[in-house]
Amino acid sequence: MSATLWPHRARRRARLGAAGGAFVVAALAAIGWRGPAEGSERHVVEIVGFAFRPAALRVRAGDTVVWINRDVVPHTATGSPAAWDSGELGRGESWSFVPAAPGEFAYVCAFHPSMQGKLVVR
Amino acid sequence: MRVQGRSRILVLAAVATVATAWAPGSAPGQEAQALDDAEIAAIVVAANSIDVRQGELARDRAVDERVKQFAQTMITDHTAVNESAGELVARLGVTPRPSEVSRGLEASAEEARKALLAKSGAEFDRAYIAHEVEYHRSVLAAIDELLIPNAKNAELRQTLVSVRPAIEAHLRHAESLQRDLGAS
Repeated sequence: MSATLWPHRARRRARLGAAGGAFVVAALAAIGWRGPAEGSERHVVEIVGFAFRPAALRVRAGDTVVWINRDVVPHTATGSPAAWDSGELGRGESWSFVPAAPGEFAYVCAFHPSMQGKLVVR
Repeated sequence: MRVQGRSRILVLAAVATVATAWAPGSAPGQEAQALDDAEIAAIVVAANSIDVRQGELARDRAVDERVKQFAQTMITDHTAVNESAGELVARLGVTPRPSEVSRGLEASAEEARKALLAKSGAEFDRAYIAHEVEYHRSVLAAIDELLIPNAKNAELRQTLVSVRPAIEAHLRHAESLQRDLGAS
């Protein structure tokens, strides 16, 4: 399950500059990457006030889900059980991945277990 | 538990002292302010620094891995909140000023630290977590009843409001650990 759940997992810093972003896109284009699959959507989960917002998110397989930490303290978005893990997200940092397999996935902040979220992939 | 109970009583006593300082018939937070923003800033810094120090003690002394991790989270989070508070007071041009409340917090923390140092092993773990439960309850009470009602600057008040969920999450975490340790 975990192997197919995050095939395009990519940690990305929110503070990546515009020039850096352009460079990455150019580099990906050079190796034949065409960007997200057509029709796929980008969803954002904000981590703010020690909560995932929205706490439950429905997406389609192939969509991109981005977690952004708006708090001043570090958080994580960690599958529970630990099928996937953002690693530590500091203030202002983000992490994204593209779930490939349908299912319901509960997740928590590894540092703050009272923070709980759910990702439903159709 | 004796010391932790005293810590809570001290903060609540400070809340009561401040409450009685308001003029009769006045609504809390509207007039006759008992704490100014510089004193509130010092209380915020003291409250965070205290829990960083207790966390450092527990990180080195605790035996249970979950307690060690909790202690590390307290160090990380309270350091981050203090850095953020430091940025705010620098921007506002406020110099934190000690008050009876911040001095009382420091004195109470020192007493709690001595009590913790007298313990070891699983007994230390339980005492530290019991302290953290009590401490975060006290801080929540102080935020609600003392700090937010007294804060004049809107940004300072907003910072206090935004810190509240952190304290609440820490409290839930500590209560959950307390149940686990009690059962083990």
